[in-house]
Amino acid sequence: MKKYTTCLKQIISVVLVVIILVGFVWISLLRINHRLDFTTLWGYRYRLWQGFKMTLIMAFASLFVSLFIGSVAAVAQKAKFLTVSYLAKFYVQVIRGTPLLVQIFFFFYIIGTAWGVDNRYVAGVLILSLFEGAYIAEIIRGGLESIDRQQFELAKAVGLTPAKTFRLVTFPLLMARILPALTGQFASIIKDSSLLSVIAIPELTQITQEISADNYRLFENYFFLGLLYFVMTFTVSLITRRLERKYKHENSSE
Amino acid sequence: MKIVLNKICKSFAGKSVLKNVCYEDDFKALAIIGPSGAGKSTLLRIIGGLLPPTSGELYLDGVKINFTEKELLSYRRTIGFVFQTKGLFEHLTALENVMLPLIHSLQLEKTEAEERAKQLFARFGLEREGYKYPHQLSGGQQQRIQIARAVAMKPKLLLLDEPTSALDPELTAEVLDMLGELQAEGLKTIIVTHEMGFAKRACEKVIFVAGGTIVESGDSAQIFTAPQTKALQAFLNKVLEWRP
Amino acid sequence: MKKFFVVLAVALMAAVLFCGCTEKKDELVVGMELAYPPFETKDEQGKPYGVSVALAEALGEYLGKPVRIENINWDGLIPSLETGRVDLVISSMTITEERAKTVDFSAPYAHAYLALLVNKNSPVEKVEDLNHPERIVAVKKGTTGHVYAQNHLQHATINALSAESACVTEVIQGKADAFIYDQLTIYRQNQANPENTRAVLIPFQESEKWGIAVKKGNKKLLEQINAFLKDFRAAGGFEKLTELFLAEEKKTFDALGFPWFFE
Repeated sequence: MKKYTTCLKQIISVVLVVIILVGFVWISLLRINHRLDFTTLWGYRYRLWQGFKMTLIMAFASLFVSLFIGSVAAVAQKAKFLTVSYLAKFYVQVIRGTPLLVQIFFFFYIIGTAWGVDNRYVAGVLILSLFEGAYIAEIIRGGLESIDRQQFELAKAVGLTPAKTFRLVTFPLLMARILPALTGQFASIIKDSSLLSVIAIPELTQITQEISADNYRLFENYFFLGLLYFVMTFTVSLITRRLERKYKHENSSE
Repeated sequence: MKIVLNKICKSFAGKSVLKNVCYEDDFKALAIIGPSGAGKSTLLRIIGGLLPPTSGELYLDGVKINFTEKELLSYRRTIGFVFQTKGLFEHLTALENVMLPLIHSLQLEKTEAEERAKQLFARFGLEREGYKYPHQLSGGQQQRIQIARAVAMKPKLLLLDEPTSALDPELTAEVLDMLGELQAEGLKTIIVTHEMGFAKRACEKVIFVAGGTIVESGDSAQIFTAPQTKALQAFLNKVLEWRP
Repeated sequence: MKKFFVVLAVALMAAVLFCGCTEKKDELVVGMELAYPPFETKDEQGKPYGVSVALAEALGEYLGKPVRIENINWDGLIPSLETGRVDLVISSMTITEERAKTVDFSAPYAHAYLALLVNKNSPVEKVEDLNHPERIVAVKKGTTGHVYAQNHLQHATINALSAESACVTEVIQGKADAFIYDQLTIYRQNQANPENTRAVLIPFQESEKWGIAVKKGNKKLLEQINAFLKDFRAAGGFEKLTELFLAEEKKTFDALGFPWFFE
């Protein structure tokens, strides 16, 4: 009997939340006399699909490149050669401390042009990866620092070579700690890719802006845009939660 | 086993931790006792090849240990080391903890490694803990598994750094029992410990380290009944004060 | 204690929401994108300035109402009319069939031609040259240049950017062969970048008419605006605007034999 009432309570609460949120948006629309018409989007479905695919392509490509850049930067920060470590630290600080929008303009129109990177898509992936790489470097650095120093001493004591220590001890311990944060970063990559619209890469946001300029249905267009992004990031967060659960039971909460 | 410590010195960032440590003797079980912070753990790590001395020499059974990474790699594989706490890989099960060094340091086949590990576990009553992770095990079990891991590698010497200091008294006994059994079979050990009873009964040689140097050393029979130096007398009095 | 804070929070939220319901002041709210000198731009203090601003203020005087200029992104202008955020839009907006479906336009007050800003090294001589798979065209999202490219230059790669400055930069850097925009701006940009660009100013289509936009169905305001425009033109208002903001350009256009905006 008790299970029934808690279940019922949960359902009622969910329904109430939906009513409150939908109701708020509904009332807002009424106040500005906006007539909803989502059917206008159907005519653009081909372009929207292309944009959706492009966003996914940009996001996945950036994921791999940014993982690479992030790993290199994390390791470089610990380099004994001071110039290398300073360069890496500077990169992480500056990139994390400036807006992506600024970086897109700077790297595309100035650095990119100067060094002959004219292909918009390549430039887009590189710029986004450079941006996300700095955040990933910090995630990796934090993860490495959270590993008990004695695990490394232990590896030494049982006679593991540095290479084996990395493969059998460092890497698994690091992954267990940072995998949830990394997948969260992937969700950020997906959202941040929307800024690539400023250099006209035909991803989802750019397509939506072009459609808006055509049909002026700002609310329908951007609501749908938000919905599509949410579908992508929510999928990622579901995967994150599963990964978190998997790694939690393997690690004590010390 | 014959050990020679010749003018071993160790300093960290200018601070001296060990000064001119000299010792030479033949032993089966050697206990290192002394007040906290005296440098006992550091000395043990140097003997284990985990830390290089700032200066000085180490000989085991007449062989000089050169502190180059290459030589140390093979040296460490012959020495077992048991840490005070957190001495197991957190991401591996108990069995995997024992098997990993066998497979990757001693190049054993996986099946053989598994055999050896399971045998040791069966012998010391750890069969049901094999698939558990360190955070699921009690302190005593973790320490015994550490010993099993070290012993599985058939080391010529086992070093233990205060293996029972972090344990509740009830768990201390099971660890010391296991150790006693192994010693009786001929395993050579050097143990840093606060357990004076164990040091007295199970170790025939004792070193008393205080202030970064060996103040007194000798047969445990003499050391505990008739300490020569004032420092050792004071130390033993303090330690034995609360005993019934 | 907890309950008190909940009540307080709800009360604060309600207060904030109600603050949004201010009574409508009797002013004329004009929407424009202040990114299009010399028609809609800002002065050194950041205040709205330009041809359209002056026109809006003249309209305000005529109707006897104070004028408030709202700076809005290009693609937000028409939606702002629909939602009532602004009363009218004066933003050098071309009257098109598509737009006329959503808003009502006044009588045209100016006309403009599209022109091309071409990269110096590009082989493009006239607009038809752009309709080729190897050509890249930069346009500003939502403008008639964008529409023209979509309708007539299907073979080219069309990059629709948000900012006029980005389009110009792309042409200068050779990332685009040409930028399609209004004649006047193309002329000015070419003047500003003579080493990297050429201007193809010869009209390649019918001129586009600029109109003032109001919310669909707002007949009253529309009639007032049309009456104002008639009066303003008769009184030589547009000549004054030209003198104030576009003197140089008028001279050049006269020399090149191009018809002037306000004729």
